[in-house]
Amino acid sequence: MKKTLTLFKALILNWVRSRSGLFFSFIFPLLLLLVFGSVFGGTRQVKYDLHVQNRDVDFYGTPTNLSRAFIEALNSTKSFTLTLVPSKVNPTEYIKKNTKPFSSRIRFLIIHEGFQSEAINGSIKSQINVMIVSLKSFMCFAGEHLTPENMSQLGRGLETLTAVNQSLPDVKGGLTLLLDPSDTGGQVVKGIIYSVANAFSFKLVGAREVITLKTDSYTAKTYSAVDYYLPGYIAAFIMTNGVIGVTSLATDFKRRGVLKRLMTTPLTKMEWILANVLSQTALGILLTIVMIAFSWIFFRVTAIPGLYSWILIFLGAILFTGFGMVLAGLVKDVEAASAIGNAVAFPMMFLSGSFWPLEIMPTYMQTIARFLPLTYLSEGLRFTLILGYPQGAVLDFILVGFLAVFFIFIASLVTSWREK
Amino acid sequence: MPVIEVRELVKRYGDLIAVDHVTFEVSEGEIFGFLGPNGAGKTTTIEILEGLRQPTSGFVRVLGLNPSDPDDASRLKWRIGVLPQDFNALDRLTVRENIGLFCSLYRNKVSPNELIKLVDLDEQADTQFYKLSGGLKQRVGLAVAMSGDPDLAFLDEPTAGLDPKSRRETWKVIEGLKGLGKTIFLTTHYMDEAETLSDEITIINRGRIVARGSPEQLINLYGGERKLVIKGDEKIYTVLTEEIGKKAIKVGDEIQITFSKSNEAVEVLRILSLKGLSFDFEVKRGSIEDVFLKLIGARITEEGELK
Ligand SMILES: Nc1ncnc2c1ncn2[C@@H]1O[C@H](COP(=O)(O)OP(=O)(O)OP(=O)(O)O)[C@@H](O)[C@H]1O
Ligand SMILES: [Mg+2]
Repeated sequence: MKKTLTLFKALILNWVRSRSGLFFSFIFPLLLLLVFGSVFGGTRQVKYDLHVQNRDVDFYGTPTNLSRAFIEALNSTKSFTLTLVPSKVNPTEYIKKNTKPFSSRIRFLIIHEGFQSEAINGSIKSQINVMIVSLKSFMCFAGEHLTPENMSQLGRGLETLTAVNQSLPDVKGGLTLLLDPSDTGGQVVKGIIYSVANAFSFKLVGAREVITLKTDSYTAKTYSAVDYYLPGYIAAFIMTNGVIGVTSLATDFKRRGVLKRLMTTPLTKMEWILANVLSQTALGILLTIVMIAFSWIFFRVTAIPGLYSWILIFLGAILFTGFGMVLAGLVKDVEAASAIGNAVAFPMMFLSGSFWPLEIMPTYMQTIARFLPLTYLSEGLRFTLILGYPQGAVLDFILVGFLAVFFIFIASLVTSWREK
Repeated sequence: MPVIEVRELVKRYGDLIAVDHVTFEVSEGEIFGFLGPNGAGKTTTIEILEGLRQPTSGFVRVLGLNPSDPDDASRLKWRIGVLPQDFNALDRLTVRENIGLFCSLYRNKVSPNELIKLVDLDEQADTQFYKLSGGLKQRVGLAVAMSGDPDLAFLDEPTAGLDPKSRRETWKVIEGLKGLGKTIFLTTHYMDEAETLSDEITIINRGRIVARGSPEQLINLYGGERKLVIKGDEKIYTVLTEEIGKKAIKVGDEIQITFSKSNEAVEVLRILSLKGLSFDFEVKRGSIEDVFLKLIGARITEEGELK
């Protein structure tokens, strides 16, 4: 491990001091972010089509306050082009009738009957929970100073509250989203709806009078173009740093005999691969931080990476370092290796939905995108970093993680730690 | 026990036999010179000894270990130091950082500063590697080869392509290493280098060993004739070859005649002075170059080609 760390430090230092390395893996992505961000505007929206059916209506067909407010909130994210569907229509038939060949799939959100009452129940339930917890801690802390009489009164109060709480039905959310499994934007839509719903229940729990909540106070986070680009760029440049950067580093070390020199030290093949993984991870982390800082300074986009984002960045760095190592191991010639690296990296960058939403691309390109590892890395980062909805990224985590292990394994097979 | 023991070593690349039944031994503490022109099989042999290449057949032991066995090879790597042909380090790291990097790949007590002093690079210690001249790069390579405090060092053409001054400085460093008690396996295509540095020389050509021995032994055996070197009047060459009937060769403005008995030389000089020709002369002892010429019938150029 000490050997790996030593080499890792040396690789980083060597990289920091080489201007072309710095340019391609750092300055170039930043320039791109700034240029694209300014051209398309920090405020321009990426819009998704969404059909909404509100079944939470009274006898005359008037929507309940809460369901109406929820639709308003969805609208205020500016992320959707909403089409309202009458409450009596059958969703399956509606989708069948409205799906046209070569257009994007229908996404259908149902707000179920009882959405308002359930939400209110839920909010009451949460408030009662808060009361129970406070009572319990009060009894705990102040117990010594209370008379036994007070204590038994409090105990009875607690029992009543618990009983009431249990009698209220559980909240089921009251929302159903119908998606076509092949719909590439579907998971993003789900993420946005989820975050709006989250913001909603938060307001409900905190509010005194649930019914009189004003609609304009529900404004959830809005998503701008830079919100879309940011995770895509981070993912794309973790990819290019691996596929182009690692490949050219490894082939250059081989050509100039540095690798041979390392082979005759006690350093092992796995330590060499690991040192590269570490340096790419460090690069990825640094790049993420700088990109986020720039996005905030220039476009006021706030993204705070949590644990899941960092894990995904780490897995992505492993994946693409492995990929670069495989390429360097298979292709001996420096020029050929870097040509192949470029030929892989650039199309992948543009086909993967890192730079623009997949759904604006033709169907066959969307199909290609499903076979590119970068698609899953940028999608996963979008969920964790921007939408704060890691649940949506389960498939991304699984695939990126699996491919990371796979490529490192292949890299360890094709990297030769001997001459022929 | 010899530090290196090689018997009937063969390495084939397809149809080409790069190393052809090679046998030799290297004893502890000596500088072993492996002399041969380009393509002779020097690098192939040295890399088999280092565990980097797999031999086709033959017996090899280095420090008692078998380099073609993976376990032995990884044990061997702790104990050898290597200066590969065309050495390069990390371009943007300084001399000190590069040496430091390699030092910390071993568990040992060698300090980078000691090594910098050993190869006399104090002034350039903070210069980035890519800015160094070829000679200085080679010296970094020598320091790196010593970074694991090895018992045995492999130096593959340590002075190839350097100017005479840098070559001499590098020789000094290599002699210093010997002074530290290291065994050194040195390959070279420079005759003078082999002669100056080596305790033992093994001459290899086209994968085959041509001769082995100490420089003195080789010179006595194959380069024993002494040479009379004459400089002067234009006519001397014609007089020598046509009138006296001596075999003479022109090297630049010098004329060389080899002889085995001293009075042959005296006789030649007497005739020349009787003819009233003005000249200057010198008697030279044979060198490894003559040995090589005698054995292979060609010289090795500065670039390492046979001519
Ligand atoms: N990997 C290889 N594949 C095929 N042939 C090779 C390989 N390595 C070396 N050779 C050939 O084997 C012969 C010996 O090469 P080697 O590099 O050992 O010679 P050398 O004495 O080190 O010469 P030089 O002074 O050029 O370094 C040469 O003819 C060379 O072309
Ligand atoms: Mg060689």
